[in-house]
Amino acid sequence: MVRVDGREFFWREGMTVADLLKELGDPYPYAVVRISDRLISRSDFDKAPVPNDSEVFLIPLISGG
Amino acid sequence: MAEVKVKEIKTLNYARLAIQKGYANQTLYVDLSDSKISIKPVSEKMKEIFVGGKGFDLWLLWNAVQGHTRWSDPENALCIACGPLGGTPIYPGSGKSIVTSISPTTGSVMDSNVGGYFGPYLKFSGFDGLEIQGKTEVPTVILIDGISQQIRILEVTGLPEDAHAISEILTNHFGRGKPRNISVVSTGPGAKHTLIGCLNFSWYDQKRSRSRLKQAGRGGLGTVFADKGLKAIVARWDTVAVALNNPTDEAALKKVAKLHSQEIVEQDPKQNQMSNVGTAHLVTIMNDYDLLPTHNFRYGQHPQAPNVGMEVYRLLFDKGYDGCWIGCTLACSHGVKDFVPSTGPYKGRKVFVDGPEYETIAGCGSNLGIFDPFHIVEMNFYCDTFGLDTISVGTSIAFAMECFEMGLINETHTGGMDLSFGNRVSTLELLHQMAKGEGFGKIVGQGVRRMKEVFSKAYGIDRAILEDIGMEAKGLEFSEYMSKESLAQQGGYGLALKGPQHDEAWLIFVDMVHNFMPTFEQKAEALHWFPLFRTWFGLCGLCKLPWNDIVPADNKLTKEPAKVMQHVQWYAEYFSAVTGRKIGPDDMITMSERVYNFQRIFNLKMGFGRREHDAIPYRAMGPVTVEEYESRADRYDQQMKDVYQVDIQGKDTAEKVKILRKLREERYDQLKDAVYGRRGWTKDGIPTLDTVRRLGIDFPEVLEVLKAHGVA
Repeated sequence: MVRVDGREFFWREGMTVADLLKELGDPYPYAVVRISDRLISRSDFDKAPVPNDSEVFLIPLISGG
Repeated sequence: MAEVKVKEIKTLNYARLAIQKGYANQTLYVDLSDSKISIKPVSEKMKEIFVGGKGFDLWLLWNAVQGHTRWSDPENALCIACGPLGGTPIYPGSGKSIVTSISPTTGSVMDSNVGGYFGPYLKFSGFDGLEIQGKTEVPTVILIDGISQQIRILEVTGLPEDAHAISEILTNHFGRGKPRNISVVSTGPGAKHTLIGCLNFSWYDQKRSRSRLKQAGRGGLGTVFADKGLKAIVARWDTVAVALNNPTDEAALKKVAKLHSQEIVEQDPKQNQMSNVGTAHLVTIMNDYDLLPTHNFRYGQHPQAPNVGMEVYRLLFDKGYDGCWIGCTLACSHGVKDFVPSTGPYKGRKVFVDGPEYETIAGCGSNLGIFDPFHIVEMNFYCDTFGLDTISVGTSIAFAMECFEMGLINETHTGGMDLSFGNRVSTLELLHQMAKGEGFGKIVGQGVRRMKEVFSKAYGIDRAILEDIGMEAKGLEFSEYMSKESLAQQGGYGLALKGPQHDEAWLIFVDMVHNFMPTFEQKAEALHWFPLFRTWFGLCGLCKLPWNDIVPADNKLTKEPAKVMQHVQWYAEYFSAVTGRKIGPDDMITMSERVYNFQRIFNLKMGFGRREHDAIPYRAMGPVTVEEYESRADRYDQQMKDVYQVDIQGKDTAEKVKILRKLREERYDQLKDAVYGRRGWTKDGIPTLDTVRRLGIDFPEVLEVLKAHGVA
């Protein structure tokens, strides 16, 4: 099981961030997600694994400056 | 340490007025030359046009200086103001002070915002703003004592030079057992030996029992402070409460404050974790998107960047509440406890370091080719305690390092120092030299613009390459974002009133990564709305971080997520509740537009503020060297073909660099036209008569300045 912004989703072996975002069906162009305390940028979405039982946060990131 | 001795120079007893709807309705004036203290009224017109904070500062400064006034002239004023919303303890980020003066590095108007308790304490003591003119030979402390209702000019001898020590001593001296009642403004020895001095504003950290420091860093305001002979300004105030601002509708204020405050508590752990890591979260993100400056803005990425990222600083930051204003739930002012410097006067002694924040990590780390988190902490500590701006220090050293690496300067110029990128020992040595005004550090401490003068005139170096890689505009060093691939951010830097500081327009991510503004017109519109909205925070005494660093959970579903309109609406309600002046989001833009255009015309008064002054070095627009182009050849080649329809077949890299440069410079020039048009300015970047009349800033003296520049 994976928790995304507080909601639970089924986890499967080999799941990447890109897989998870596809399953979520959220069209927002996320640039960064955080798995626990680790930030992952879009260029790594398709190779970054999502561990089982992890907490995933979708970062809106329009901040800065 | 010598014994601190205090001698009375002048005292003014006054009757403190209660704050009305966020305003004290008067400002404090001090002339150091003749020890004059007076109180000036704030008119309704002044509130209507200039709102407060930076607006009040600018009006006071405008009336204090002439077009020929130089930064070091006695008539130059240093102005500090809070704002009508400043000092509200229940609304996140409501403790900002804004400082303005004529800058040593730009020669024109500088503004810099800073946290800490000073601005609110100044207001609660009875003053919306403070204006200091004149100069003195004696080490002087100004005490604004809202409890005793006294303004005192004091000669204080025996004070140390370093900001941390000054703040601690004066907090204990004037606190009378209540150190939280004190906020100290001070600088350090670097401020008088360089042109890039910063001001340190203190806030008392109850839990850690120490004074903490925040910085008004940009544009050499600390240098003005030191040049005036000031050692410190101290504000003394008692307990802070919501009712102190005497808001028009306290219930409405509490309601909106609760909404924003609670949202931060709920969303921050899911978003940027500002209350745990502050702006350090940006480091690896910027790196991943090729936006983290490395090696004097040559590149935007480095494999070692994670060494100085959030995951490392999360471990170094001392745990606990880090709000630089009372009750702020964002609380992002983190610090490192028990740090032991390896150099300088504090070598081997445990110190507390306020920071580092993103800008310092990038400026004193990655942009120097240094990826050692402890080195950055040490640079941060010494910049603060020596009264030096971490951004200008970083960008200036980065420029010197690139000149060294390119062979433009060598050990004969640097006093034997190896200034290769990545040399930690040399960068710290330069910093200590800046503080003492010695060696090559004395030259670097003059900032990038003056280094270019010295390098070309005294060392005979080709001026063109210095102009291309020296990262300053209007005389101010660039802050730490790579703008090469974002035209909107190039405009954000180049068209900023005071010079390339990101607080006016930070559009890099929404432009380049999110692509929220693909067309030229959208970029121009963004360069109208965002600088104006950001200006509004400085008018009111607010921090901008709660606006868009944490956003509502459903913000992504809104029409324009980058504007965070829910928060804009809350700010309008906040302002209305305190001042009783009912406003909506559009009114906020108009309020800012008045002050923004006034500041542009103020630049004009000081001999700047035209199209030519909005130029930026080519390094900010594109690859200067063959090496830079080839490091991202696929990107540039593709862009040449797809965007500019250039046939690159058979062309070598040097030719492609030249062609791309011409195209990008033309594009930046077109952007200027579009933005000037949207802002209601002439092609030369001057507000038109229609614009100043529409905004109600058509005062005779404003019209006179416009007329002198051909706008009549």
